[in-house]
Amino acid sequence: MALAAYRNLLRSARIAFEGDLNMLIAARHEARRNFEGNRGLINGSEEISKQITHAEEVAKFLRENVVQGQALDKGAEKYKLRIHEHTERGDNEDIKKGKGNTLAGAGAGTKCCSG
Amino acid sequence: MFRTAILRSARQAARAAPRCQTPIARPVARSPLFQSKQITPTAYFQAVRCYSAHAGLGKDEVLGRIMDLLKNFDKVQDTSKLTADSHFSNDLGLDSLDTVEVVMAIEEEFSIEIPDKEADAIHSVKHAVDYILAQPDAH
Repeated sequence: MALAAYRNLLRSARIAFEGDLNMLIAARHEARRNFEGNRGLINGSEEISKQITHAEEVAKFLRENVVQGQALDKGAEKYKLRIHEHTERGDNEDIKKGKGNTLAGAGAGTKCCSG
Repeated sequence: MFRTAILRSARQAARAAPRCQTPIARPVARSPLFQSKQITPTAYFQAVRCYSAHAGLGKDEVLGRIMDLLKNFDKVQDTSKLTADSHFSNDLGLDSLDTVEVVMAIEEEFSIEIPDKEADAIHSVKHAVDYILAQPDAH
């Protein structure tokens, strides 16, 4: 269970920091350090499942919500982002459904703060 | 005119493409005269892989690459115990997290992805070699 989480975490780090060897090695060390720190936990305890869930969440975050960017040239405020297939992308659903409950969308039909 | 330009550039590209060094099919029975020149070492480094290059990996090559990988793995303290049959934890003194790292390194070496279930079953050099040999897309 913990091993699967560790493998998953290493895979995510490989996806998130592909091509950036320093960062990849640092991420692996950090993962290892955290797993070593929890080595003493008893199998099946509540704490261990909490830690495994944490590792899975970190892996998911690294995979889906971390993108690396590289400055295009010095001084310019432009970065080329390496967005990959696993990166989470919004579909702008909440912009459409937001009308009615928010102040911005409420003006047309319903009254906001009856006053 | 556009068509001829495309054709010309295609022809040039074809001419510039690297030629395969090894013949596509080797004769089954070689004459003893040429034998010494035609045998390629197992760890033959080929910078350019052609589509016609054979895909299968030899057992010796797989074993050699896995052994090299383990030799360079800093957690393996005693490289003298490293043989084709060594067990990761019993012989090489690796713990379970190290084993996961080794299997990940093997994945990277052969550019494949090993599913969790199979990856958990790899505990020795021999297991790893057998698994890689069974994978058609390992290279």
